[in-house]
Parts: sequence; structure tokens; C-alpha cells
Amino acid sequence: MIDKQEIMDIALLSKLHIDENEIDSLTEEMMNIIKFADTINEYDGEVEEFDNINNLSNVFRNDEVVESYSQSEILKNVDGGENGYFPVKKKV
Amino acid sequence: MKEYELVSGLETHVELSTKTKIFCSCSTEFGGEPNTHCCPICIGLPGTMPRLNKQVVNYAIKAGLATNCTINNIAKMDRKNYCYPDLSKAYQVSQYDKPLCSNGYIQLDSGKKIRILRIHIEEDAGKLVHERGDTFVDYNRGGVPLIEIVTEPDIRSIDEAIEYVEKLQLIMKSIGVSDCKMQEGSLRCDVNVSVKPKDVDTLGTRTEIKNMNSFTFMRQAMEYEFDRQVDLIESGEEVIQETRRFNTGTGETEGMRSKEDAHDYRYFREPDLVTIHTTDEEIEEIRATLPELPDSKKARYIADFGINETDAKILVKYRKVSEFFDAVAEKVNKPKTVSNFIISTIYRTLSTDDEREKFDIKVSSESMTELVKLIEDGKINNNLAKDTLEKMLQNGGKPTDYIDESQMGGVDEGELRAICEKVVLANPKAVEDIKGGKGAAIGALIGGVMKETKGKADAKAAQKIIREIIG
Amino acid sequence: MKNSTIKKLHNMLLQGEITCVDLTKKYIDEIKKNNESLNAYVLLTEDEALQQASAVDEKIKNGEKIGLLEGIPMTLKDNISTNGIETTCCSKILTGYKPIYDAYVWEKLKNAGAVMLGKTNMDEFAMGSSCETSYFGGAANPHNTDHVAGGSSGGVASAVAGNIAAYGLGSDTGGSIRQPASFCGVVGLKPTYGAVSRYGLIAYASSFDQIGPITKSVEDAAIVFDAISSKDYYDSTCSGAVETCADKLDNDITGVKIGVPKEYYEGLRPDVKNALDNAIEEYKKLGAEIVEFELPILKYALPVYYILACAEASSNLGRYDSIRYGYRTESYNGIHDMMCKTRSEGFGKEVQRRILLGTYVLSSGYYDAYYKKAQNMRGAIVKAFKEAFAKCDVILAPTVPMTAFKKGFSSQNAVETYQTDICTVPVNIAGLPGVSIPCGEDNEGLPIGMQIIGNSFCEAKILNVAYKFEQATDFFKNTEMGVEF
Repeated sequence: MIDKQEIMDIALLSKLHIDENEIDSLTEEMMNIIKFADTINEYDGEVEEFDNINNLSNVFRNDEVVESYSQSEILKNVDGGENGYFPVKKKV
Repeated sequence: MKEYELVSGLETHVELSTKTKIFCSCSTEFGGEPNTHCCPICIGLPGTMPRLNKQVVNYAIKAGLATNCTINNIAKMDRKNYCYPDLSKAYQVSQYDKPLCSNGYIQLDSGKKIRILRIHIEEDAGKLVHERGDTFVDYNRGGVPLIEIVTEPDIRSIDEAIEYVEKLQLIMKSIGVSDCKMQEGSLRCDVNVSVKPKDVDTLGTRTEIKNMNSFTFMRQAMEYEFDRQVDLIESGEEVIQETRRFNTGTGETEGMRSKEDAHDYRYFREPDLVTIHTTDEEIEEIRATLPELPDSKKARYIADFGINETDAKILVKYRKVSEFFDAVAEKVNKPKTVSNFIISTIYRTLSTDDEREKFDIKVSSESMTELVKLIEDGKINNNLAKDTLEKMLQNGGKPTDYIDESQMGGVDEGELRAICEKVVLANPKAVEDIKGGKGAAIGALIGGVMKETKGKADAKAAQKIIREIIG
Repeated sequence: MKNSTIKKLHNMLLQGEITCVDLTKKYIDEIKKNNESLNAYVLLTEDEALQQASAVDEKIKNGEKIGLLEGIPMTLKDNISTNGIETTCCSKILTGYKPIYDAYVWEKLKNAGAVMLGKTNMDEFAMGSSCETSYFGGAANPHNTDHVAGGSSGGVASAVAGNIAAYGLGSDTGGSIRQPASFCGVVGLKPTYGAVSRYGLIAYASSFDQIGPITKSVEDAAIVFDAISSKDYYDSTCSGAVETCADKLDNDITGVKIGVPKEYYEGLRPDVKNALDNAIEEYKKLGAEIVEFELPILKYALPVYYILACAEASSNLGRYDSIRYGYRTESYNGIHDMMCKTRSEGFGKEVQRRILLGTYVLSSGYYDAYYKKAQNMRGAIVKAFKEAFAKCDVILAPTVPMTAFKKGFSSQNAVETYQTDICTVPVNIAGLPGVSIPCGEDNEGLPIGMQIIGNSFCEAKILNVAYKFEQATDFFKNTEMGVEF
């Protein structure tokens, strides 16, 4: 069963910051949820490989250029960006 | 000290030269203002979905066929999850357990085969620019299609590694799926290196050197890494399996491990894309579009045209050069003459790799054919042909634009013999010298013949006749 | 009697009984009056709505023909992208985010002349069954505001039941259209996976998500579904292999085989069970044939759903790093710190729990036991349904084993709340269509819903079967608020 260290490892992969004072309650919650998920392992009936819902294949696009969006549209949600880039300050 | 051997496998990323990105219709053109080849899909806006470019699949299959791979009838796309600012969706759409191609090889000149485990398609990430610690992101490259070619750990020396990459580069260029420009990053390698005592079969622990984009750095990095691992083993320490980067400043490889980089890619099926199903007929259709591959061309040049190995290699190195050569070679009697002109005269005007690659010359294959035919018909000699070719390279046009009637016609063998006899009789001193062992003195006699024929004679033929006369 | 249905409003516009601008204003007034208690809307788009409405009036004035949906005031769940209009998924992490493109469905409806009143409330990133994980607080049930509207499309269901939208589009990943429709006593259609384009729907779990209508009546559901379902170039999984539905509603259902799998009827609250039993009797009267059988694998549907949906969610939600859009933490040191803090502050607890579960089931060492096993069981569930549809034409099942929860229940009981999705998730696992319609009420007057489930791309069939029931009975209960016509 999942322990605190594993929660921290999973949080790191998920890029989530877990507060020290939250870790115990979170571990307990996650143990409950995983216990619930674990019930699938009681199932020993037949299984079937799953590909995609409607078994679709070969949906393609032709290699034809369509004009891109303008730089200002692309940067609209970062207040227009900085010199055409998405800026990330090292420290704030 | 024991003798150690290098063991290496390569993962090579090759950018495909499609017009559009792998999952959207933005241009793949190199350069451009930041974030101007972008749309909601390639900057990963919420709710957007990928749509696969058919040409990417075709190019990857072509690459697989050219490297002796099996093309898998069923392939699928997967997500490789990791967070990094240049990856707009926090996952790269790639292929995990069902790649398009598997089990191929590339044969080195020694005859040794470097086995290819798989070739899969995936998307490139954007570009980060760092300035005073701040980071700036440009997604123009984000979504440009790549193929990743993964070898088995069959490589046993740095030379083999370089030769493998050179061959791969040549093949990809010649089938037209990529320009493979290392300096622009359209071909880059992750190099896996481990060492083992020569007499032992089991492999050692490997490290992976990321993103090598020049042969010089690749050589330096592999040399350094080999020495470093041997030193570790000799001093009883362990090699840690890790990813390393090559520091071009120090010439050393450095570990990239950090807590923040902890990776577990959590591959799973990309639910936004459907299965890729390729029939055997489709595979054969693509196979039929493959041009003759460089190695087979080279062998043909050597066997059929009597061109030497070095020259043959140079000819096949650039796709356009070998196409030019082929176009002329099939119409003339002695293709070797063409190869000599390309290597000695044309290459002098194209000094860089890039220029030779583009092969943007003013001489058409038709004019070149005409020129060689003039020689073969005995109408002009090699020297005049060379002069003419140089003029054509400068100003374009065809040979007859530069050679006037009086220069043409050449000298037939009987006439030439008579002139040679005359010149020999007129230069007893030179004849003495030649008989006395000063071979160079023949130059004066040939000069005399050329003077008599106003340069129309074939110097080589004249030399042969003079030697016969002198005995 | 049902009021303010699409056809009714359409006829009023046609007959000149009301102008589209006045109709729209009336809806906006009622939203302003009722939204404080319902909290159905999280954004009003008054200006855009009135502009669109006057364009429709202009057309009518000029004697031009107008379509059925033209000028009808409606709403979109806040996870459907609208160009230039804030789309937040009711998450702090997307506050201020304005898409630069339209979702396919919104483009379709916009072209059909729809008047969008605003964006409606939902559980954050559609993760929840009560609408209470919304960053803006939950939406209330118009039948009793101490109860939740359900989730995740709680805002749409609340708005439609409260008569402050004629209809709306929601999304259904594990029941998010059908469950709130059931709780609020309206009609909710979850289409076949691939019947409606997902392009522009902010993804929760990509292989489960589908957009569908929440409406007053089965006919309205058919009208809206016909308008939004088709093949879409931008959604590779959308084959659009659908037939029109509105023209087949009144087909005779004599001899139609209605399947009642035993497992759906276990553990129901007695009043829900009773309502379903009555519905079965009603269908017998209508000439349908009832077929009983078992679907034992359904016992595992819930964990299979949660494992796979959370796995996909953990990947889909990785992109919220504040670099290209959305909320960014106020202070940080380095990019890694920026990402972690942004995400921990920007995502609510339920979303974080699902991301963690999804990351866990995909991580090396656990992949085979959870993700892979669940994926193979999904294949088995798909097969079980295919076999079931060899025995029957449609399946009749409860939508939820109970009626709308009291506010606050879900936040205290994560796993218990998951378990209330037991009847809705199988449809999403197998990619089938399902429609929820009212079939009764509990002793507090809260609606009970039932769902008709069909084989893939059989929307016309399930809507036909639902319509016949709706016409034969009268379980629609007016909330006596909002716009009444």
C-alpha cells in the first residue's frame, strides 16, 4: 500500500507541492482511493485487449500548410509576451 | 591494466522535411520570428487535439525500408509524460510499444551490421532562450516531426559510431526525408556508452550522453566518457546509469541528475489519435518510390565504371551530385571522365559541404554530357575541356559557346604520330635526357606537339606515341 | 406541462409574439434575479447575446427564414472553449484564460444562430458529482436549493431546470450530463463516443469525454443533438457516424426489446427502485418486450473508470504550468518551484487527488496492476455490452441510485461519492449513448431519473424509446422560477 514517501514521489512527478502538515491526511485519503481502485484485482474473468472505442484507424491530414496564427494572438494570454516570447522570470 | 572495449548504441533524432508539423498545419520552416509558426494545437491550448500528417507516416516508412526494417502493419501513438517549459502539453506524442518500423540494420564498410531496433515518429519540442537566468519560450519548433532511430548496442568503437551516423545521414538525405543538418539540429544523437574488458561478453552499466549535434563533439564526448568509465572501473568504483550532457567548453561529460528531473515517463496510449494501419500493398507502393541507395550506387560506380573507392564515395555523398553524375554517366562511354571533372574541377568551385549539398551550378547535365562527348569523339582534348568547363561554371551556357570551330576537330592518330615523329627529330637533347632517365624531359616534347597542333592534341595520347617512338 | 421548449420559443419568434431581443432580455433579467440562489452561471455574456439577438430580429423583420435554434437563448458549460470569452473549467488555474478559437460545437451552434447567455458552473475540470468542487462554489438544485444540482454539468442542469436557459451543452465523462439532468428533473443526452466533436472541449479524460445537450424535453435533446453531431476534421476520434433523430421520435416501439440487466438494479434506494419498476410496467403497456439478463462485469466498472479516467486526466492536466495561459503563483524560485506552486494553488483538492491517483496507476511498478489491467477490463466491458445488444435493442437503467445530495455531502465522502456514479460510468467505458429522463420524484419532491442506453450510434433509437415514455407519462415538474412561456 502507498506510503508517505511514495506520495511525495508521485507529487513530484505530478508537479504538485504538498505541504508538510497535509501529507498525513493526504496519504490516508490516497490509501482509501487506492484500496477502492484495487478491487479490480479481485476480477479474474476474461479480459479483452482494448484498442480504441470505435476501432478507428488511419485518420490523417494532408501535408498542406495553413497560415499560422499571428504572434500577438498566440501571446494573448500572457499579456502579449516579451519580445515575441513566452517569458518566465527565474524568481519572483 | 586490462584492455577495455567501448560498447555503444545510438538513438538518432532526424527531423523530417515535411511542409507542415506532425499534428497541425503550421509550417516547419526553420527560423522566423519567435512564435510565428504556431497555432492553438502546437502551443497546447486546452481542448485542442492532434491530427496526424500522412506524410510523416510515409517518410518514416520510407526511412524504415531504406534501413532494412520490417514495417509494422499496426502501429499506434503514445504519450510520453514529462514537464518541461518547451513541451507545451507536458507530454510528447511519440510511439512506445508499437512503432512504425522495427528490426533493421545499416551495414558499415567493413561488412559489419549495426542492428536497428526500431524507428518511431514523434514531435519535437519548442526552444528555450535563457537570458540572465530568465527563460523565454518559442514554440516554432514545437510539433515539427521527428523520427527516432534506435540501434542495438552493436557499436564497438568511436569510428564505428561516426561511420554509422554518416551512413544514416546519407541514406536519409538520399531518400529525401530529411536534410539532416547537424548544425541546425535536424540530426542529433543520444549516445549510449558503456565499457567492458575485451575478453568479457557481458555488457557494463551504460550512460547516455544527450543531444550530440556535431561529429567533433560526439568524438570528444565518447572519448571522454570511455576514459572516465575505465578509470572508475579500474579504481574499483561503479558506473552509475544516468543521463549526461557534454560540456563543449571543458570537453567533459557531466551528470544531469537532479531531483527535479526525476523521470518516469508513464507512457500510455494517446487517446486523441487512432490506430495506424498500413497494408502490405501500401508498404510496397512506398518501397517502389525509393531511389537507389548510396551504398548500392557506390558499388555500381566501382564495378561498372572503374571509379576508385574514394571517388565513388565522394560522388554518392551528396544526393544532387550523384543525380547529376548519373544523368551524364548514362549517356557517355566513359563515366569516369565525368567523375574526374566533378571531383577535380566542379568541386573546386564548391568548397563547403553546404555548397556541394545544394550543388547549385550553372552547368546542366545536358551541357556536361555534350562536353564529355566532344572529348570522346576526339574533337577536343582534356585540357581544352577543362578550360571550357571552368568557363561554363562561371557563365553558364553550353560547350560550343566557348569553343570555336578552329579549335575543334582534334587530331587523328595518324596525324598525331607524324607530328610526334617530327618533334622527336627536332629535339635530340630532350630525347637524350629521357633515355638517360630524366623522365620529366618528355614534357618539353609534349609541349612541342601541342604547339604544332595549337593545343588540339590529346596530351596523354601524344605521350604514349612519343614513348613508343623513343622505344 | 413543459414550458419554454425550443419549438415553443421558435414559434413565438416566428409569430412575432416576442422579439428575440426581448426574449433574451427576459432571460438575462431572470438570471440576474435567480443566479444568486442557483449559482448556475459563472459568466454572463449579455452584450454578445443581445447583439446576436438583434441580428436574428433583423432577419425575421426582413422575412428571412430562421432555423429552429436561431435566436434561442442557451448556455455552455464552462469547459467548452469560446473565442475571446473566458473559459475556466471553474478552476482557479484557468482564471482569466480566453481561448483564441471556438470549440467545434460552439462554432456549429453559433452558425445556427444560437444566443449564448453565458457560461455555466461545473465541478472543477468536470471532476465531481455535485458541482461543489467548482472554484466558484456549487450550483443549487432549483427544486430545492439546499440540495446540489449534481455534477459535473450542474450549472447547465440548474439553468435549464430553473428556466434561465432554454437548453445548454454539457460534457459527460462518467455521468456528468445524465446525473445532474436526473437530479434536476430534465433531459440529458450523452452521445456515442465519436458522435460529437470534442475539439475545444477542455479535456478531463479524452477516451471518455463527450459533449451533449441538457434540455427540457426529449424532442429538444434530439433537435440539439442533430445540430451538433457530425464528422469533424479536427477530432480524429469523431467519425460522426450518426443519423438524424428528431424525425424518428414518434416511431412505434411495439416489440422493441428493452434489456434490464440485474446489476443496475442492485443497491438502489427503494423509491428509485420503485420508480424504475413503474417505468418497466409503463413500457410493457407501450408494447415493448422486457428482457432480463446479467452483466456481472459491471461490478468492476467503477474502479475501472476511475483508474483509466484519472490516468488520462493526470496527463491532460500536466499542461497547466502557467507558461502560456492561466494563473501563475505570486512568488517562486526557479521554474520547477513556479510549476509546483502554481499547480498546488491553482487546482482544488479533488483535482489534485485525481492527478495523484492517475500518476500512481501509470507509474512504473504499478502500471500493469492498475492501468493495464483496467484497460483490458475495459475491453471486456465493451464486449459484454456488444453481447447484451444482441439480446435487446436498448437497456433501461436508473441514472443514479438516489436523488440529489444535500450540499456538503460530497466534500466529506470522496469514495462514497465516487460510488454514486455506479450506474452512469458503464456507458462511458463502452462509449455508448445514454439519455436520462425524469421518471418520478422522492418524498421531498426531488426528481428521480432513468436512462435509456443504446448500442453505438443508436441515438435515434434511445431518443425514440425515451420520447414514447415522456409522451405517455407526466413526470416533468416545473420549478416555477425563471422564464415561463
